[in-house]
Amino acid sequence: MPKTVMQLVLIGFAFLSLSVLADPAKVYTTCAACHGDKGQGNPQLQGPVLAGLSGEYLTRQLQAFQQGKRGQHPQDVPGQQMAAMAKSLLSEETDLAALSAYIEQMPLPQQSTRLSGDLKSGNAYYQNNCGACHGGQGQGNPAFQAPRLAGQDSDYLRRQFMYFKRGIRGTDKSDKPGRQMAMMANTLPDDKLNDVLAFIGSL
Amino acid sequence: MSKGNIFAVVLIVAAFFVGRHWFADTPTVMTDSRSGAGYSGGAESTGSARSGLVRAIHTAPRTGTVHEVREGELIMDKVKVAEPGDTILVYPGSYSETVYIDKDNIRLSGVIEKGQRAVLDGKGHLNDAVLYSGNDIVVENLLITKYKGNAIMGQAGNNFEIRNNIIVDTGVYGIFPQLGKNGIVTHNVISGIEDAAIYVGMSDNIHVAHNQVFESVAGIEIENSRHAIVENNYVTNNTGGILAFITPGLPVKTTYDVIIRNNFIVGNNHPNFGAPGSTVAGIPPGTGILIMAADEVVVEGNIISDNKTAGIIITDHNNAPNTTIDPESDPAPDKVAILDNLMHNNGYDTIDEAKALMLTEFKTGNPDIVRVGVSRDSCIINRHQYVTVGVDNWAECGFTHTGDIMTYLLDKPVEPREIDPSEVGKVAYLGICAGCHTYTGRMIGPPVQVIQALYMDNAQGLADYIANPVKKRDDYPEMPPQDYLDATTRLAVAEYMLSVSK
Repeated sequence: MPKTVMQLVLIGFAFLSLSVLADPAKVYTTCAACHGDKGQGNPQLQGPVLAGLSGEYLTRQLQAFQQGKRGQHPQDVPGQQMAAMAKSLLSEETDLAALSAYIEQMPLPQQSTRLSGDLKSGNAYYQNNCGACHGGQGQGNPAFQAPRLAGQDSDYLRRQFMYFKRGIRGTDKSDKPGRQMAMMANTLPDDKLNDVLAFIGSL
Repeated sequence: MSKGNIFAVVLIVAAFFVGRHWFADTPTVMTDSRSGAGYSGGAESTGSARSGLVRAIHTAPRTGTVHEVREGELIMDKVKVAEPGDTILVYPGSYSETVYIDKDNIRLSGVIEKGQRAVLDGKGHLNDAVLYSGNDIVVENLLITKYKGNAIMGQAGNNFEIRNNIIVDTGVYGIFPQLGKNGIVTHNVISGIEDAAIYVGMSDNIHVAHNQVFESVAGIEIENSRHAIVENNYVTNNTGGILAFITPGLPVKTTYDVIIRNNFIVGNNHPNFGAPGSTVAGIPPGTGILIMAADEVVVEGNIISDNKTAGIIITDHNNAPNTTIDPESDPAPDKVAILDNLMHNNGYDTIDEAKALMLTEFKTGNPDIVRVGVSRDSCIINRHQYVTVGVDNWAECGFTHTGDIMTYLLDKPVEPREIDPSEVGKVAYLGICAGCHTYTGRMIGPPVQVIQALYMDNAQGLADYIANPVKKRDDYPEMPPQDYLDATTRLAVAEYMLSVSK
């Protein structure tokens, strides 16, 4: 999205958000511009799928964006955008838990485009490197604060994985799940990432 | 040239290639395995002076105290007072407890009276029936059922004998000697195990004979072990019958010198009920023998029939399901030798991968032997008897039988394993944790590198967890509490686990 349009959208929603702090459905209209009206995401805007993510995970990420623990790194441009939105549009009074709960109950997204890759290899590396926390079917596991991966946009997953691997995400001392993921991102052989993403896309 | 002539030319060319394929085979090589050169053992194997029956390691009369246990008493109470050299006799009756033997030279022996046995009943909530970490342990004549973890697990004990036990539905492993040297597993009847009925892990000089294993995911598994003989077992209706494996990510990186002979490996077509995503969950139902990455595996004299996928599958790590690569292990099964076996009615409902491989060799029929991936210096005799794929280029073996090797058991029991206090954590890790956790992969529990990421430098947190685990993963078996280990050992093993790097 061109920068000017983004700014306009930003300003527009800023006014809107002031009046609708209480109702998560109304607050969500702010998010829908990039994440879709059903939380289905928007790959063109690099907005990840939100439907299917747990309220706990969403709240934690929103707080991380607000508090400057995520979306600060100069190489994480979409993260910077999200951090700006989280700070400006979601005021301190916004009930993040209510917003997250609202998103959590959105129906699971339909499958998007399939990535090509070796699914057998992807399954093996997924089960061995990822499944212990994210679940055998990519369903996520609240016991490890591990988000759902199934149904998520492959480009977003690849981008975040590389952020973890390169020290762009998951470095804040208070972000333990992020640091855990950063450690695991370094265990997957580089040439297997595409297969794993293809496997997740097939779930 | 007319259309008819073109057609004729095409036909001639096609016939030439088809004919070259069909008729160019060399004359059938028939090898008589009733005589000829014998196998002299794999790398580092040492001859045995044993002759006659291979039934026991400890044959000297026992002079220690005999402790008797009867229904209503605890076996563990007798273990606590027993001294090395003592015998514990367990009379028929029902016992519901975990027996943990952490001293040397104890014989735990059930008394069978008119067919009645001592029954260890886990009642669906206890994890392990018998655990031993001592050397020179004998466990025999028990009936073990309804435990969730292991029926009998050895944890770094040498010179073990596990015999004459009946094991029904005990969770993950039936008989599981881990990190042991010089041990025997004979005359046990085992069924209903969701991983391996008999799992020899990271061990050396092992003899597995005369067992009946059925209705388990894996019948008999020789894994990351050397100098093992698996003979005269009746292995039927498992998902996979007999397996010789290198599991990637374990601390011991090799499997070699394994003889699989004179077994009945029949109708291993049981649906796979291993935990999805685990290594054994990748075994296709209908696999008689599976050789994955293991070297010097000799297969001789078995009756291998009615296994619907294949009689024998030989694969490297790259082509095995649910398997990732361990840079420390050679992924290829080398020096495999397939001698005479009776193979009949295998591969009648095989997997697509096997069919695709057969197409590449213009083969038809139901495969007895399937080799996929790299395998160096392997050999076979009388190959004309079988439907094979992937072995046409194997050499003729330079030997025809293994009759010169009675056993790989040692002439004398090895010295008890002495554990330096500084090594307590390491030995516990190798002897216990590595039974279910590999460094990189999902065997039973999560990989060690995941545990490292979750706990980072919080060894105490991990030590607390292993004493009192909580189920966190729906699709993994529950972790059994390791509270039989003292707090010092638990912390040591947690520290060690967080420090290993392969």
